[in-house]
Formats: sequence, C-alpha cells, structure tokens
Amino acid sequence: MIDLEALRNCVRNGIDFVKKQKDVIDAEIFASWNEHITVRLNYTSDIPCNGVHEPKSTQFSGLGLFVVFKAGKGIKVGFGSVPDNVTAKGVVEAFQKARKNKVYDPDFKSLPVPAGKPVLGNYHDPAVMDIGDETIVDLGWRGLKGALTEYNQNHFNKSIIIGGDIAVIKERMAIVSTKGIDEFDESTILTTSITSMIEKESVKGTGWNTSTHLAGFDPEEAGCASAKSAIKTIGGERISSGTYNVVFGRQPVTDLFTNIVIPAVSLSSVNSSDTPFLWKLGKKIASESLNVYDDGAIKGAVGSKKISCEGIPTGRTDLIHNGFLVGFLANNYLSRKFENVFVSFPPRNGFRYHNGGRNHNIQPRICPTNIVIEGKDEVPSQSLLSKINNGIYIGRIWYTYPINGLAAGDFTSTIIADSFLVKGGKIDKPLKPNTVRINNNITDVLNNIIAVSKDKKQTIVWGGKEVVLAPEIAVQGVKLDSIAGFIS
Amino acid sequence: MIQHAGSLKNCKYADIRLGIHETKHANAEDGKAKGLGEDASISFGIRVLAGEMSAWGYYGQSLGKGESNPKSIRKILTLGINKAYARAVANASKKAEFKSLAPSLTAVNLAGIVSCNDTINAVFDEDPRNVSLKEMLTFCTKISGDVRGVSKDVQYACVNVQTGINRELFCSTEGSCIDQSYALTQGMVSVVAQKPGGIPEVCYDYAGDLRGWEVLKGNNVYKQSLGDFAALRTRETVELTEAEFLPATTEPVVVVTNPHFNALLVHEIVGHPTEADRALKLETAYAGRSWLFRDFQDNELGKQIASPLLTAYSDPSIQGYGHYKYDMEGTPGKRVNLIENGILRGFMNGREYAAILGHPPNGSMRAIEPHYVPIVRMTNTVFANGDKNPAEIISEVEDGYYIVNHRIPSISESRENFRISAQKVFKIESGKITKLFRGGGITADSKDFLMNVDAVGNDFEVFPIPNCGKGQPMQVMRVGNGGPTLRSRARLTGHQ
Repeated sequence: MIDLEALRNCVRNGIDFVKKQKDVIDAEIFASWNEHITVRLNYTSDIPCNGVHEPKSTQFSGLGLFVVFKAGKGIKVGFGSVPDNVTAKGVVEAFQKARKNKVYDPDFKSLPVPAGKPVLGNYHDPAVMDIGDETIVDLGWRGLKGALTEYNQNHFNKSIIIGGDIAVIKERMAIVSTKGIDEFDESTILTTSITSMIEKESVKGTGWNTSTHLAGFDPEEAGCASAKSAIKTIGGERISSGTYNVVFGRQPVTDLFTNIVIPAVSLSSVNSSDTPFLWKLGKKIASESLNVYDDGAIKGAVGSKKISCEGIPTGRTDLIHNGFLVGFLANNYLSRKFENVFVSFPPRNGFRYHNGGRNHNIQPRICPTNIVIEGKDEVPSQSLLSKINNGIYIGRIWYTYPINGLAAGDFTSTIIADSFLVKGGKIDKPLKPNTVRINNNITDVLNNIIAVSKDKKQTIVWGGKEVVLAPEIAVQGVKLDSIAGFIS
Repeated sequence: MIQHAGSLKNCKYADIRLGIHETKHANAEDGKAKGLGEDASISFGIRVLAGEMSAWGYYGQSLGKGESNPKSIRKILTLGINKAYARAVANASKKAEFKSLAPSLTAVNLAGIVSCNDTINAVFDEDPRNVSLKEMLTFCTKISGDVRGVSKDVQYACVNVQTGINRELFCSTEGSCIDQSYALTQGMVSVVAQKPGGIPEVCYDYAGDLRGWEVLKGNNVYKQSLGDFAALRTRETVELTEAEFLPATTEPVVVVTNPHFNALLVHEIVGHPTEADRALKLETAYAGRSWLFRDFQDNELGKQIASPLLTAYSDPSIQGYGHYKYDMEGTPGKRVNLIENGILRGFMNGREYAAILGHPPNGSMRAIEPHYVPIVRMTNTVFANGDKNPAEIISEVEDGYYIVNHRIPSISESRENFRISAQKVFKIESGKITKLFRGGGITADSKDFLMNVDAVGNDFEVFPIPNCGKGQPMQVMRVGNGGPTLRSRARLTGHQ
C-alpha cells in the first residue's frame, strides 16, 4: 500500500523536475495506488462447491506523465507511464518515455486548468483501507448466509444456486500540473450483487447493496433479498409476442442507461459519429417527463469522487432536461476539441478507470460517475403499475447491447428474473424467466416514458463503470418476443 | 518460493505465475496521429489451496522495474504467498462452519495431471521488439487518412495497432515449471460513414494473431495487409449507407451464414455453454449458465443437440488467438471435441471442474495477466470443416438470405436463444445473391438453429475475437473462433 503523502510528494517533486527540462511548455503528472478485492460466491446445493469460491485481490500503482513540448513553431504532446515506481527515478523514466512518444496532434488544445473547489472532502473509510483478510472472507460468507437462511426458512434446500460477489475497491491518487492543478483524492467503495435461484422452479432473484463505509455495508441483506425475490417468482408464465406497456425496475433501468443511453451522451461517441443523438443538442430526444444528469459529488454515493483524474472537481452535468438533450459528458481533451463546434461542455468526467481502479498508464477517458434519473413529476412506485394498468413489470434484464451499433439506437436484451405480469394496475402472476426478448429502439423507449418513480436506489450492473440512482420507469409500447420454446 | 508455499501448515497445493507483457502501440484518427507508446508490465498471481476443509485463497499484484531484482521479488512473493494462504485458511474455516447449513460444501479436489518442465518460445517472422514506434505511427496515420479519403461520406476513421511479446513462468507445488512466451500483433479499424440526413453506418473489425509484425503485412486470416483490410471495410461501410434496412421476419427463413459470422455464432452458442465453470453454475450471476447442463442427472451429454452434419471443437494447438501449449494451471492444452456429428460430447475445463464432472482435465484455464485468477476460457473454438463448396450451398437456395460477417451479439442467459447482427445481409433468389441490406441479423433458439443445419462448407477459417468478457473482475480475453459456411433456418432481425 502506498500512502497519499508519497503520491503527493512524487507528483509535486516531479513537476519541478519536468518544468526544468528543455522544450517543455506544460506538463501534468498523475500518480495512483489501487487495490481491488473480490470475494466470489458460488453455492450449488446439488453440485459440490466452495460457498465462497475465492477471496482474491489485485493491486497496482504507478505514475503517468503528459508533456507538451515545443516543436519548431508548434507543439507536440507525449505521454509516458511507469508502473510501481512512484519515485523521482520513476518520474525521469516516464519523462523519457513521454519525450520518445511525442506526436503532433492538431486536436490537442491545452491541459486542464483549475476549475473551482471540490465539494467532497474526507469521504473515504479508513476501516476499508485497513480491511483484513478474515474480514474480507467473512463479508462473502455473510452474503451467502443471507440467501441460505431465507431459503432454509422457506424449506427450499434443493436445486439452489447462489452466486455473485463482494467487491472492495480502494483508490488513492494525486495530480499536479503546470497549469496550477494540485489535487489528490482517496476513496473506498463496497458493493455486492447476489443472484440466487431455485433452478428446478426456473426462478432467479437479485439483491444488491452498496456503501462507501464498512459500517453501512450489508451483504447479508443482499443475499436475503435475492432469495426472497426468487421465491416470489415461482410459477412463472410465458407471454406471447407483442407490444406491451411495461414498468422497468431499477436493474433494467440501470442496464439500459449503462449500456445504451449514457454511452450515447458521451462526447467520445460524438467524436466517432456513433450516437443516435448526433446534432440533437437542444432538441427533444425523450419524453418531457425525463431528466438525467451525472453528479460525481453526491455525498455517500459510491460513484462519487472528489476530483476527476484530470484534477477537476466533480459536480453536476445535466444531460437530458424535460426530455431535451442539454449536455454531453466530457473530458478536457474532447471538451476543448469541440468547444467551437457546440459549446464548451464542463470537463468533469475525465477518469482513468481501467482494471478496477484509477490507472496511471492510460490517459483520461470519459466515464460517468453517479447517473441520476428523475421525473418531472415523480410518482410513488405503486402508481406506475396503475399507469400501465395491464402489462409487464420487468425486474431484471441481461446482455443489453446496441445490436446494430449505437448510432442506430436498436437494442435487444432478455428478461431473466424478478418479473411479473401486471393486471388491473396490480402485480399478478410471475413471468417465466428467460422466455422473453426485448427488441426495441432506445429513442422510442425514451419518448414513450409515461411516468418515473420517486423512490430511487443506487444500482450497479456487471461491467458498468457508473452507479445509477435508479427509479422505476413506466414505458408504453415496448416490443417483446417470446423465445426459447424448447425449454420446458 | 513455491517450496515456501508448500511448507505452510495444511497447504494442499499452491502455484505461482510470474509474467511480463511487453507491448508497443500506436493509434491515429482521420489521418492525425493520436498517440504511441512502449510499455512493459510485470505482475504475479498466487493461488493457495489450504485449510482442513481445503479452500482457495488468491493474491495478485503488479511489479515495478525497481522491484524486479531477485531479492525484491522474493520478498514480495513471500508476502503474497502469506496473504493468499491467510485467505485460504480463513475461507476453509468458514466453509467448515457453514457445512451444517449448506451440506454440498466440499473440500476442493483437483484432477491429477502430470507435472511438466518445459520452455515454449514466441514464434514470429518479424520480431515485435524490432518494430519502431515511428513506423507503427506512420502506418496508422496513413491508413486512417487513406480510408477517410475513400468517400466524402466517411465521417470517422480510426486505426490502432499493437505488437509485443507476453512471457509467463508457472511453478506449482506439484513440481511443474513452465516458461511460455507468445507474440501478439493486432490491428483494429473503426469506420463510420453517413449520408447527409441518414443514420450513420458503423463498422469496426480486427486483424490479429499470436505472431509478429508480419501479421499486419498480410500474414493473417484475411490474407490482406491492414491497409487493404481497412480499405475493404470502409468501402463496404460506405456502400451500406445506400442500402435499405433489412425487414424483420416473424417466421424462420433459410439463411446461409459465412465463416466470419459463424466465428461469433460458435463463440456464443457453442463455446460459452460448453465452459465447465458455466455448466457448474459458477457464472450464474455474471455471464450466465448453460442449457446443456442442468444437473448430473438432467443434461445433454451424449444427446443430439445439433444436426449430424455438425461437429464443433476447441483446440489450442492450432494457430489463432486461442493458441498455447499449457494452460495457466500447467495442464497441457488439448483438443476438446464439444459436439461430434450433432452429439454433445464434453466441456472445456480446469482441474477443479474436471474433478467434479469426473472428466479428464483438458487445459482450458486462462487469465488475461498473471495477477488475475485463471478461469475456463475458449481456446480456438470452432465449427469443424465440411465438404461442400460454399458457392454450391448458396446456389441450392431458392429463396433465402446470405448473412455476412458478424457485428454484435445478445444471447439468452443459458445460451438457449440468440440474436446476432451482421455487417451485411444479401437476399438469395433462385440460387443467386441479389439485393444488399443493412442493419440486419438473425435470431433463433440455439438448438433449433443447430438442428436445422443442412449444409456445411469447406471454407474453414479461424478469426481473432479480441474481446470476450467473463469473470469478476471482468477479464477481456482474446480467443480464436471460426468455422466454415453453414446453412440453416432463423428469423431475420432488422432496424426498429
């Protein structure tokens, strides 16, 4: 483990060294240390298993140096990084690499400049930073216990599967630049997502829990919720192919936003002309009920950071307001590249997330933080069912992809758990998992939103970088196809 | 170091993987240089099986240059072994405590293998270490500029390349000591074209192999230089902007799928469901289960799941992204016959899963870097070659569609249903390829598609699939997939 002071000293001393070098106009040094701990669960009542399959971790540190060099009458830019060497020697090596790697990139305008003060201060949990091996293992068994106890109490002890994980992420970083940025950040994240099944009943349930502090983290509750949800969906029915009014639960809302909507409102998608919202800034792209913003400065939210990996304080970036596209997520590079094409988007989302941490060896990409989805006039969750009256409550979807490329807006996904038929504005019979495929266009879904719930929960999906403060959303006219007829 | 691990109380097994990945890379957009670099990363991973009721404990870490001398490595590895051991012991203790609540909890048992001592050298014609960064950047910049100039409708052209050598040392308490090196060279082309007011057409594709820089000069599955490959993909993308969107069908139609499309098809509906960890439910929360194995009594092993014309196998001994001699448990990789003449025969496995299934271990465990935990991965997983000329397969179709080159998949949880989009779809009328469509693909229940195969071509190829995601944390692995042309039945999908 490398402490914050060592990272700060490295970047501060490093920038003094770089400034003295011939031909250097500007420079930025980023240093980080990260540890990603995962405790993977696997309990199968009818197959020999480990329960907690593996407590494991990986950690990495290093520094990355971006330098603007004089090159005749113009400039060249170069990036160099060094792993696990947060020292003066590491800075020299990274600088030599940056010099060797320099290129003329006409789209580069300037390094980031300081932009206000961070909202968040000391928001990490020292107890997570110092977490011991026995505690890590115990968190996994607590998640398992929550699900096992619930199944046992309801007399289900055969054909049980419990999977998922507990993840503990520790991140420290410091950044200094010749433009006046001198910042650091330290964060801790705990997440669990537990999926459990009674396989012979073809039912699956999901539970999850997130926290920035160990004291507020409850994997047992997630395990219990997954079992409760699976039990609740026993006796599921198939539906026929057709167009339905649906309520998307929090996990499907998160899946749709993580895989389709948020990538489409990133300047990187604008840069590659691969978004259905190209040239739609200021235009209506969704129901007027919908507001969406990214906010990396929400206290207690697990996607929050004090500063971006470019040293910019995090904050709120409005993306969709009353159905109108009002912004794009940006980093410094693309914000400046496009400032004369559109407007200058605040570069609050330049992060170096890679391999489970703030990685020194890549340059900042555009990454969301906490995505907040709100309704213009929000309603209680129960009212959403009344709004659709008859239809489907979709509680969990899977493998959501922009099947014809993001720009076309087409997406597909299958309903795999936690779902019900809705009749007369009330939850009716469960929907049989893995028997329905959603085939739609995201622009239709966004425009056909009829209501958004008031209640929200921090929700994560596999492979997603962001946390979504997800409501439930009612949508009319969603195309659903009956599939897998050969599965009993 | 491995002896130290083996000497710890109740340590049943341990292995250490120590590796170095050396990579050079460059990228350019629209004829403009964007970046280049040369990096080497060293990391290690330790697995320990310990405790009365033996359980796993793992530890992984990256290393810096300053830590790569023998004394420092010894110190860090000792710390890592102790961490992995402490986790294994704590885990085993909890497992024993929970046994009354969860009777199927069992001590880990590994299927036996013969210990190996071997050295495998990287194979290449043009050593990645001798390729200059300047040459790589010039290469990318020229190609991205050239393809941007193919048409005024090209809106974006990006090219990135990488070349390097990955070397990994494996040692286990059972006495294995294996030193393997493989070269890797890859080029990626991303192109977007758009008619004024139209929907952008997006294409990205890869050329690559576990070889040297010669891969991007034409020694690849496409038998084209990266420049020619990029130009072809760009012309196709521009052509598609003028095509109609494919209308979806509600009923299955005759489809002929080409080898590039079948690379993703075999990946999704044969490769993934024949991974033993998935069959044994370990991926239930992530990548899903397998419809081929519900439990020991109720599964498809030995049963007909595909047309008798269809055979599929996974083979790390053939050239492709899934090539290696030993997997990351030190087990010799071998060809696994997954489907033989339509009958399901086996799963890709690792030692723990082989022991549970009662199958021989076949060496299919891999991790993207040494500090990650190995999991079951595809190797070169393919539909076997047939004996029919692809032109003849098409000529026999009175009314159908030719599905050309894969794009994006979406698969059901147990791989029982799929929707996969294609780069291009052509109408087949009276045995002849006619109209081109965009935005199309096919969807079917996996078993229906496999059972309905009535022709298998003789044009077998293995393609590079660079981005297979699995595990937690997710490991994005390179695998080889392919096969020949197939003919079957599926519903068409289109633009919604």
